[in-house]
Amino acid sequence: MKGMKKYYTQKIMWYLLTLVFAVLLNFILPRLMPGDPVSTIASKSVEGMTDATAIQKVYEDYAAKFGINKPMYVQFFTWVKNALRGDFGISFSQYPRTVSDIISSSVLWTICLQLPAIIVGWILGNLLGAIAAYMKGVFDKAILPAFLFISNVPAFGMATVLLFVFSLKLHIAPAAGGYASSMIPHMSLAFMKSVLSHYQLPFWSIVIITIGGQAIGMRSMSIYELNADYVKYSRFLGIKDHTIVKYVFRNAMLPQITGLAMSLGTMIGGNLVAEMVFSYPGLGTTMLSAVTGQDYPLLSACTLIITIMVLLANLLVELLYAVIDPRVKASQQD
Amino acid sequence: MKNTIKQIFHSGKFVTGFVIFLAILLTIIIYPLVVAKDPLAMIGNGNFFKPGTYLSIQDTVNSGKTYKMNVDATASIVESKLTMDNRSMMAEWLEKYGGVDASEIDVTDAEGLIALWEEKYDPNAEQKGLIAAKKKKYQRLDNEIDGILEDVPTIIAEKNEETGELEEVQSIDSKQYINEKDVINRQNFVLGTDNFGRDVLTELISATGSSLKIGLVAGIIATVIGLFLGLLAGYLGGFVDNLILFFTNLFTVIPSFVLLILISYSVGESQRGIMMVALLIGITAWPWTTRSVRSQVISLRNRDHVNLSKLSGHSMLRIVLTDILPYVASYVVMAFILQISSGILAEAQLSMIGLGPATTKTATLGLMMQWATQYNAHLNGAWWAYFPVILVIALISFSLNLMNTGLDQVFNPQLRD
Amino acid sequence: MGKVMLEVNNLKTKYVTRFHEDVYAVDGVSLKIEEGKSLGVAGESGCGKSTLALSLMGYYFAPLHYISGDIIVDGRKISGMKPDDVRKNILGNEIAYIPQAAMNALNPTQKIIRFVEDVIHAHDPKMPRKDIYDLAKERFQILGLPEEVLQKHAVELSGGMKQRTVIAISTILSPKVLIADEPSSALDVTSQKMVIKMMRDLMEKGFIKSMIFITHELPLLYNVTDDIMVMYAGQIVEKGTAKEMVFDPLHPYSKGLMGSIIVPEEGVREQKLTAIPGTPPNLKHPPEGCRFADRCPYAQPTCRGMKPEVIELPNGREYRCLMSERKVREVYANA
Repeated sequence: MKGMKKYYTQKIMWYLLTLVFAVLLNFILPRLMPGDPVSTIASKSVEGMTDATAIQKVYEDYAAKFGINKPMYVQFFTWVKNALRGDFGISFSQYPRTVSDIISSSVLWTICLQLPAIIVGWILGNLLGAIAAYMKGVFDKAILPAFLFISNVPAFGMATVLLFVFSLKLHIAPAAGGYASSMIPHMSLAFMKSVLSHYQLPFWSIVIITIGGQAIGMRSMSIYELNADYVKYSRFLGIKDHTIVKYVFRNAMLPQITGLAMSLGTMIGGNLVAEMVFSYPGLGTTMLSAVTGQDYPLLSACTLIITIMVLLANLLVELLYAVIDPRVKASQQD
Repeated sequence: MKNTIKQIFHSGKFVTGFVIFLAILLTIIIYPLVVAKDPLAMIGNGNFFKPGTYLSIQDTVNSGKTYKMNVDATASIVESKLTMDNRSMMAEWLEKYGGVDASEIDVTDAEGLIALWEEKYDPNAEQKGLIAAKKKKYQRLDNEIDGILEDVPTIIAEKNEETGELEEVQSIDSKQYINEKDVINRQNFVLGTDNFGRDVLTELISATGSSLKIGLVAGIIATVIGLFLGLLAGYLGGFVDNLILFFTNLFTVIPSFVLLILISYSVGESQRGIMMVALLIGITAWPWTTRSVRSQVISLRNRDHVNLSKLSGHSMLRIVLTDILPYVASYVVMAFILQISSGILAEAQLSMIGLGPATTKTATLGLMMQWATQYNAHLNGAWWAYFPVILVIALISFSLNLMNTGLDQVFNPQLRD
Repeated sequence: MGKVMLEVNNLKTKYVTRFHEDVYAVDGVSLKIEEGKSLGVAGESGCGKSTLALSLMGYYFAPLHYISGDIIVDGRKISGMKPDDVRKNILGNEIAYIPQAAMNALNPTQKIIRFVEDVIHAHDPKMPRKDIYDLAKERFQILGLPEEVLQKHAVELSGGMKQRTVIAISTILSPKVLIADEPSSALDVTSQKMVIKMMRDLMEKGFIKSMIFITHELPLLYNVTDDIMVMYAGQIVEKGTAKEMVFDPLHPYSKGLMGSIIVPEEGVREQKLTAIPGTPPNLKHPPEGCRFADRCPYAQPTCRGMKPEVIELPNGREYRCLMSERKVREVYANA
């Protein structure tokens, strides 16, 4: 157990370090480019102002807030200090809302959409992949090309397909938004119903895409495991096929967990774009409006939050994996 | 080598992928030779014309060669002219007072409904419990239907320049036809037009070309960086390896999507051409290649033939080039293929956020998607503006992935099922 | 003469390749093992000895297929039984198997004791877990394995330990026949010794009643088994006691094989280690005549046309050659 404690600490430390680098990148990358964002912010804020003293005042405010004239590292610490307090400044495009206010509501929508969708997609995908590997024959031959194709449809593509079929043609589900536009978010049955009906299409488009990719991976892992030596040995000891199948699928599933961790970033990125198709009130749509509104503070806060989310999810998956797979424990004992 | 290629082309998956990809490639090359129009020419004035052939109306009218046919064109016009409200009113009357069984009335069949109406409707029939106003309404409806059925010719008139009055030049009735070929000015939009009135098909083919170019450039950049770092880390080991591995792990966990957004935004619109976007995608996509090359090199590093070369005093460059590179080549090719497809996808996603190539001179698959969604094609049901784009993205990625899987099965025989 | 534990008559099985070609890997093998005896099977790799091991289990799945022949375990004919009956009643408790690659024979993510439970429950679903644990613990202790192994995962065990665990699990139901396919080949010398000792213990303590030991390492057979059988191209070419086979091989192929043996007790024999030149024939299309003819230093033109039948000598030895015993000895003496 001591080995595991060390393993966990190491993992957590590593992710903390990664976080530091991610934060650094989030700060430095835009500042390396021509057109310092802070000056841009300041000059944007004074657009249309004619009063010279007012302009001066705005510049001074920003100078104080971001420490424009101070050295880079001082700026960095000021920025980090503000960020830690949840202060990402004020949004340009949705003035006078603060960035943290906008982000905090959209983060919740995104998490509530993507987390269940990815988990459901992962489970269903693994199930179908395992079945395809085990049944072989017609089921496998029919389902494999379908999954292969689906796994190559981008998430936003699946989103538009579902939108077209189920919303525009069949009128089963609403096309856009997270809830009926006539409603104001509050806790009521009617609102929840509206949220749920708006939830379906984005949810299923993410689920289907996830299924495609996971099923392919699980299928080939299962085939690989079905040919493993322990399968043959277990058979020759008279163990029932369905017990052996359990071994196989458990073992085939384990690499799928690490695979999930590895591809989580790409997946979440793709799903955010799918959110935009539905104008879902999550981070994807917020990011789009930040770009179109030239809203730098909002955009950089979005990217930071997404990075933190991905890192957290990754860390969780890795820690979970260590509990499930005894091989991790074994490797710690050497 | 020859044997390997033969094996590769025996893999069904590879061949399927290869054929699809080749078909796409050939279309990109051949189509512009046949159709020489500017892919971004704004032909239509207005948004999203649906797919089909468009005839110049003036041409049609003025072509002069008309043919009389015994087929009445009103038949289909009736369908479009009879409103749903009128249909339900007719159905209601027929059922209540016409003595027609509800099962015989089909409101979707306008002709049948009118035939039934003509047969049964009688304004003087006893209509119990019907107020006078309602009775009048039915009579008006009857008149309206007679109007629909009546063949009123369309009159073409010209303004007399002297009197300023309209004079009839031509009268076109519903039995007058014209051969499609006699109309000189035709526009054929197989996939309709986009929001700017541009021919989607031509635009799509040129966009596929530029997206492939982006994928290719991004793939080459990512592969070169990945290969270099992977070889360096794997072969040198020690501190260099640790350092490179650290950064590789770092950039696998930090989503490249996020980095791409940050950099693309910072680069600014004026700088963001097609090649710039490709470059940005390339420099954020290398970690996967580095990982796979590194692990391959590590397993090769202590093989006998490498040791032999080392003992023979060959330079590191020579060992890497002759004793290691040929063995990792297959992995590099596979990684490269995947990089192309993920590069194309990355461009599409980036463009949809509005951070794709900032150009109006060339189309990319991503930009087409962005235009379509910006102009709400997906909410207006203008499927032709985005479905073909998605299909092309999916097909490219599908074909490349199939090729990759095929190669993988040839190079790693234990994966064969 | 003891009770016959395993009798095999003219067993034929084949592999079907991905390209639907038949490979006749076991082609008419007959053998007999009495209680308390062990039989070694030797041969080059690819001669069909591993396939023979699999074929003897009476349980076939792709790509291996049964063609004909009888397998009789302790008087009970298992060839022709329903596969599920074989699985439930024979595998593991009548015939047990130790695989060639024991390194990967254990499910890496399962605790050893859970696997033991699965093995026992496959045959006796009602046995309580506690009893299983006690049985396993006792058996492991007798065989010199620490009890803690039961609570470990396969990945936590060393190679030698894994192999011994596999042996202990294979024999936990005290089978009548144990078929060991190269159980020690992949191990270091120390672990090899421990495995060999364990195999002997199994016989001595009565945990197994008879054993077939398959290996390409002949010195091992000489030390471990009572009888030795040499296989070539899917057929048995010679059978005899260990001593006869090592010191007085009759078949030219056996002679070639034994040429590579060093028997420590006898000192180094006055013979160089010789490898047999050439490669075994392709079993998709086995040769018409003697299968060894192409590589045999004593081959005559007739060898390629005539199929040699098995010659049984009065003392029970068998060999498959066109030459008579007298001729063989004469040829060898002149060589």
